Parts: sequence; C-alpha cells; structure tokens
Amino acid sequence: MKALRNVMDKMAPVFEEGGALEKLYPLWEAVDVGMYNTNKKTNQAPHIRDSVDIKRVMILVVFALLPLYIFGAINIGVQSSIAQNITRTWNENLWIGINTIIPIFLVTFITGGFWEVLFASVRKHDVNEGFFVTGFLIPLIVPPTIPLWQLVIATSFGVVIGKEIFGGTGYNIFNPALTTRAFIFFAYPGAISGDKVWVSGVDGYSGATGLSIPASVEGGNAKQLLDSFSQFDFSWWNMFIGWIPGSIGETSKILILLGAGFLILTKVASWRIMVGGVLGLVATAWLTNGLASYSNNTMLSLPAEYHLVMGGFLFGIVFMATDPVSASQTNKGRWIYGILIGVMTIIIRSINPAYPEGTMLAILFLNAFSPLIDYYIIKGNINKRMARYAK
Amino acid sequence: MSRIRIKKGYNIRIAGLPADEIIAGKIPSRISIQPNTFKSIKPKLLVKEGDSVQLGAALFFDKNNPTIKWASPGAGTIKSIQYGPRRVIDNIIIEIDREEEKIIGQSYDSEAIHSLGADVVKNRIIDGNLFPMIRQRPFNKIPNPDRLPDAIFISGLNTAPLAVNLELALLERLESFQAGIDALSQLTKGKTYLTVPNETVLSHINNCEINYISGPHPAGNVGIQIHHISPLKPEKIIWTIDAQHVATIGDLFLTGSYNPEIVVTVAGPMVKAPTHIKARIGSSINTLIHDNFKDGQSRIISGNVLTGVQSSRDGFIGFYDSAITIIPESDEREFLGWLKPGSSTTRYSLTNAYFKNGAQSFPFDSSINGGVRALVPIDAWENVLPMDIMPIALFRSIIAKDIEEMEQLGIIECDPEDFALCSFACPSKIELSAIIRSGLDMVEAEG
Repeated sequence: MKALRNVMDKMAPVFEEGGALEKLYPLWEAVDVGMYNTNKKTNQAPHIRDSVDIKRVMILVVFALLPLYIFGAINIGVQSSIAQNITRTWNENLWIGINTIIPIFLVTFITGGFWEVLFASVRKHDVNEGFFVTGFLIPLIVPPTIPLWQLVIATSFGVVIGKEIFGGTGYNIFNPALTTRAFIFFAYPGAISGDKVWVSGVDGYSGATGLSIPASVEGGNAKQLLDSFSQFDFSWWNMFIGWIPGSIGETSKILILLGAGFLILTKVASWRIMVGGVLGLVATAWLTNGLASYSNNTMLSLPAEYHLVMGGFLFGIVFMATDPVSASQTNKGRWIYGILIGVMTIIIRSINPAYPEGTMLAILFLNAFSPLIDYYIIKGNINKRMARYAK
Repeated sequence: MSRIRIKKGYNIRIAGLPADEIIAGKIPSRISIQPNTFKSIKPKLLVKEGDSVQLGAALFFDKNNPTIKWASPGAGTIKSIQYGPRRVIDNIIIEIDREEEKIIGQSYDSEAIHSLGADVVKNRIIDGNLFPMIRQRPFNKIPNPDRLPDAIFISGLNTAPLAVNLELALLERLESFQAGIDALSQLTKGKTYLTVPNETVLSHINNCEINYISGPHPAGNVGIQIHHISPLKPEKIIWTIDAQHVATIGDLFLTGSYNPEIVVTVAGPMVKAPTHIKARIGSSINTLIHDNFKDGQSRIISGNVLTGVQSSRDGFIGFYDSAITIIPESDEREFLGWLKPGSSTTRYSLTNAYFKNGAQSFPFDSSINGGVRALVPIDAWENVLPMDIMPIALFRSIIAKDIEEMEQLGIIECDPEDFALCSFACPSKIELSAIIRSGLDMVEAEG
C-alpha cells in the first residue's frame, strides 16, 4: 500500500491552501484520513493518546448493524415469496433483498454525503463521521417499498434540519436518522404509517402489522388475536427470530440483542439506557395489563414480552436511543431517559388511537427532553457541592 | 486513618517500565532552573552570566512576593541565561565546579525540630531558598507565605505512567523525610496528611495522619487524594509538597544546607534499560540518558507522558519533575487502520474498541491517533475521573467562559494533571486537561 500512499502524497498539494481544488479540501481530507490513519502528533501534554477515535467508535456501531443488513435482505425475499405464494431458495431470497437494499443504501449515502461535504466545505471543518452511522441506520428503519425520491427528501431533512443547522455531529438535538424517519412518517403517511405491512415486489398487497391487529379490535384478547392471525406467523418466537414483514432492519430481535451485547462490550453504547428502556416498557405494560379488564381497548391486554418483540422498540432502544449526542449525557439522566422511553412507547402504543407504534415518537420526545433531564442532574450535583461549601 | 479505594481511572500499559533499583547517576556538568516552570510568578534575577554561585544560593526572586527566592541546585558559574519571547527568562544554566561549595545555615537536631513553631519553620525554608517546593491548591501555584494552610498533603505514592517508586526512592532518606514532616506539620493548624498505598516504610512516619489509598492512576495524584480526604472549598488553602522534596526540606533542617538529590526514572518505549537514577534537581537530560536510548525518531519528555513537557537532549529536567520519558515519534500511516477488526498488539484503547488488548505493554508513540471532533459523550472522561465532578458540564462552562458556573461545578477542586487521563482517553481528541487549565486561569484572574 506504499505505492498508493505515495500517489496520494503527490496529489495532496492540489487540495491544500493555494492549490487548484482547495475548496474541496474537506473532501480530500476525509478520503485521506479514511484511507490512512492520521500522522498528526500531540503538541502538548498528555503526549500519548488512546487509539480510539470517533471513526473507530462509529465503525463499531456499523459492525453491530451488519448482521441486521444480511438478515433484512433475506427477510425481504422471504416476505415477498410468502406474499406471492411461491417458494424460493435462500440465495434467491437474499438476491431479491440485496436488489432492494442497495438502491436504498446508495440513495441515502449519496444524499447524506452530499450535505455533509457541502456543510464541511462551507464551514471549513473536517467531514464528520457522524453521517456514517446515520447512513447505515436509515435504510434499516424504512420499509423496503419506500419510494427513493421520498428517501432523498427525508434524508436531506434529517441531515440538514436534524443536525447541520445545529452545527453538525455532536451538536444535534435529535437523532438525525429518526428525524429522517419522522419526516417520512408525517409527510408521506401512505408509505410508512405503521399499520399496514410493506412487502417488496408485490403491488397492492396489504395486510396488518402485528401491532395494528390488537389496535384495530375492541374488547379482544391481544395474545389470542395474534396467535390466531393466519396471514403471517405472529407467534412470539417467530417475532423474536424476525421472519415477519416490517422495516428492513428491525424485525430480528435476536440479532438486535447480539448487537446490543456488542455495543455494551465495546463501551460504545450506554447499557443504562437500554436496561432502563426495557424496564420502563415492561413495568408500564404490566400496569396496562392490570387495567385491561376495565376497558375494551385490546392493546391494554398485550403482554410485556410481546411488546418487547413487536414493532421497532428493541431496535430503537439499542441503536437509536443510545445515540450519545442526542441522549441524556449523565449516568443518572440516562436511567431516567431510558425508562421514560419505555413508558412513552407503551402509552403511545396502547392509549393513543392514532399510531399503533410509538417507539420513534417516544425517542424523539425524550431527545427533546434530555437536556432538561441533564439540567436537573447537574443542578443536583451543584446543590450538593454548595451545601458542602457552606458548611 | 482511612482506607480509600479508587475505582475509576486507568494504569496505561506503556512499555519501558523502570527497574526497581537505583543507579547512582553521574554528577552533571550542567544544571538549570527554568523560571517559566513556575505559574503566576514574576521572576527577577539576582545573578548575571559569569557570576559564581554556591549550592543553595538564591538565583532569582518573585517580584510579587520578594521573600520567595529560588536556590541554585549546584555550585559553579552561571554559564548562560536564556530568554524567550518578550524577555521571559527561559533558562538559567549553571556549569558545575568540580569542588562544590555550599551555603551552610542554621541546623537543628531531630528532636529540636519538633518545637520550632510555624514562624521559625517557615522562615528557615524561605531563607534556605526552598519555599518554591511548596505548592498550594487551588491553582497548584507557589503559595503566599503569609497565609498559612488549612492542611498539608503529601502523596506517598506516584501512580503516573513510568513514575518513580517512592518507597524505593525514600528508603535511604527516611530520617530526612521524617524531619521534613516534623517541620512542615508545624506550618498548619489543621492536619498534615500522608497517603500511602499499603503497609510500606512510609506508613510508620509520625506527626501526620496516614491514609491508605489504592487503585489505578490518578489515585496517586494529590488532587484526587484531597478530593476524597479533605475536599477543597472556597477560602480553604491546602499546601502540597512532593514526597522527595519533603526529604530535601528535612535535610535543610538537619544539615543546614540544600541537598539537591532526587531519584528520577528514565523510562519509556525508547529507553534501552529503563531504571531509577539518583540524580540532581535540574540535571541536564544528556547526563541522565547518556546512550540509554534506542535508535529512531523519539520525543524526550521531562516528566511523565501525561503531564510532562517536551524537551530534548540539550534540555534539563524540570524543577518538579522526577521522570524522563522517551517515546517514539512515528510518521507511519496505517492503511485502513480504523476499519481493522480484531485484537492488536500495537493499538491500545481503554474502551474495548480493539476487542482484545493481549499484550502486556504497548510502545505508545506521540500520534494523536485520530481527528479532532465535537464531543461525543460515551463516558470516556467519566470512566477515568475519580472525582465527584461532572466533566462535560464543566467543559461546557469553561468553553462558555461562565466563571460562576465553573465555580459551582467545582473547578477550584480541579487540576489539569487530574484530567490528563481524560485527554488521553477522549475519542474526540479534546484537550480537556488544557481546557481545565484555561478555566482555572480565568477563575484565578477573576480573583
């Protein structure tokens, strides 16, 4: 790789100050440090630095997401086979999925990358790695049938309004990938409303998502309704494994849990948020189960373990809520933030009649509140200190 | 007495650990004192080039506090006085005579030291030109001698990477160390604290409160110990003295003269035979390292890798430093290094980002290992800061120059050295340690 390095060293002056393409320096810098580790040196104490950098942190999240891409691709094929009532081999299913995912992936990256580089060039800072993870997350949380033009508009909205206007990665209030999804959700409800399934390659095909089955029936028992549903296998075990229609990456709960373990092990994501979220969800679900007999709202009777494996909750709490920038940034705050996401998810799912799924809205809502949570945690720390100072 | 277990922090596994033995160093031909090492003083010279000075003679004084003078760590001729930009005195270099003459002043026997009283002790240290060995918290600067401290802290363990083993260094100087404690403890109406890692020779020292502290770096930092034992608050002043300097002050009382001996480590990945050396305060680095280093580009640091100052072979060890660390300066750029999964023996992180850090020690070089980015709070700072301080909130208040909030968040309890591990660990490569320094400077300027 020495030869490539030499070529790149020769090219460098073109992009540096005074060179013909100096305006494109941020793009060049991104390619340069993307190919080779930086050789920048410390110029003050401490003289040595840990090997971890933001690139490494981001790539670890991507490693955790890769199994979901593979499963998602196969599942796209499987669901389309079920819908058309034909049998295909694994390879054929995978091929159908890859053909669906690649355009979505490319469109997301080209759109997001364009805005990243544009803002970096105008602001004259390095291209952030932030979009790298956002770009990997967006295809996983959209349905395989998403029209690509909607994706272009939504990704632009997510990156520009969700992040860049606040100053870029590290300064954003909302998770940009979720902002993207929320944009599609509200602007094009036909494409992603969450009560109809999306199956690739079959026009006009319709069915109900797991969560919308109990939501659409009054006075029933949610578990029995799901078990007796014939169009898809909505048994607990199948939903845990993930062979159900849904957004591309959120169906396989077992792979999401593996990803969660990986992120906790590498200390990239906060386990407090994940555990808090699950606790909040389970506790609130038990509460609604207790209330179920006083109401004819079928959703109230959905058991906690079903809430866990249905919809996008696990994906959201593992990969979206733990975005370190938009989440709470204190450890106590992370508990509160996580628990409230769980609570809000159930409230929206069970009590709000408009939306069968509530994870996305719950996370965005708590994104907005996390600075407030942190404010009070920090205030508590200050008050404790002031009390000691006054002694 | 209490036992404190520090859980947060980290012992960086850097290669080149010094051997547990002390080699007698050669007497350097040159020594130096660097007035710009000392924070917030205005040095005014008492000597000029060509003067001959005795060991312990005053070289310069502080215009803000004219009683405080700096002793010459050797006898000889003032070889040169080097100035930096805006006539800042960088370096006073002394060429050592073969036969060194030293100033001999009032001495006391070890019993008499106990009953000298605060004024006599203070004036003897000031007259001996050794008062700059004492530093105060907050701000880690030379204190005003007129305001006696509320407590005195001496750390009996040094947990910094490749640092001196204090137990080893003080083993032969226990009598001087005890005398130093006896004298210094009279300077405060409060307690004199000595922290030790476990039952060592130092845990039998009298006239001070012994506290046991264990755990990874920065457990040995006096700032962390103060925070856990007798935390700072507004108007509270604590004096701190390096353990080896306590012995130096002890010698001043016992013998009446300045004994500039100090044990330093010469260590790091680029040192052939890392070891402890019995050296002299302000010694020339060339004398200390001689040919004890490996081939290749390297960086010589006076002090440890976390808090030291970049120097060179022609440089001198800093007044408060007891280590010379040599690390590689690497220019190599690894292809797609950020993508490389799996374990590694050359890349090291205190997150588990490289899955497995199998090797026992790593040849850390001076690379910053990444690009400077906005803060991404994955607890990298919190995990290495054993203080009840919220580093992110403090960081933001300093960036916003909000002095009131900095004080509320406890900045007066902080010192850059305690945050050095945060800078080390930060994935966004934020210089938190330097930012804490700038915050403290703002608070100090405000009064």
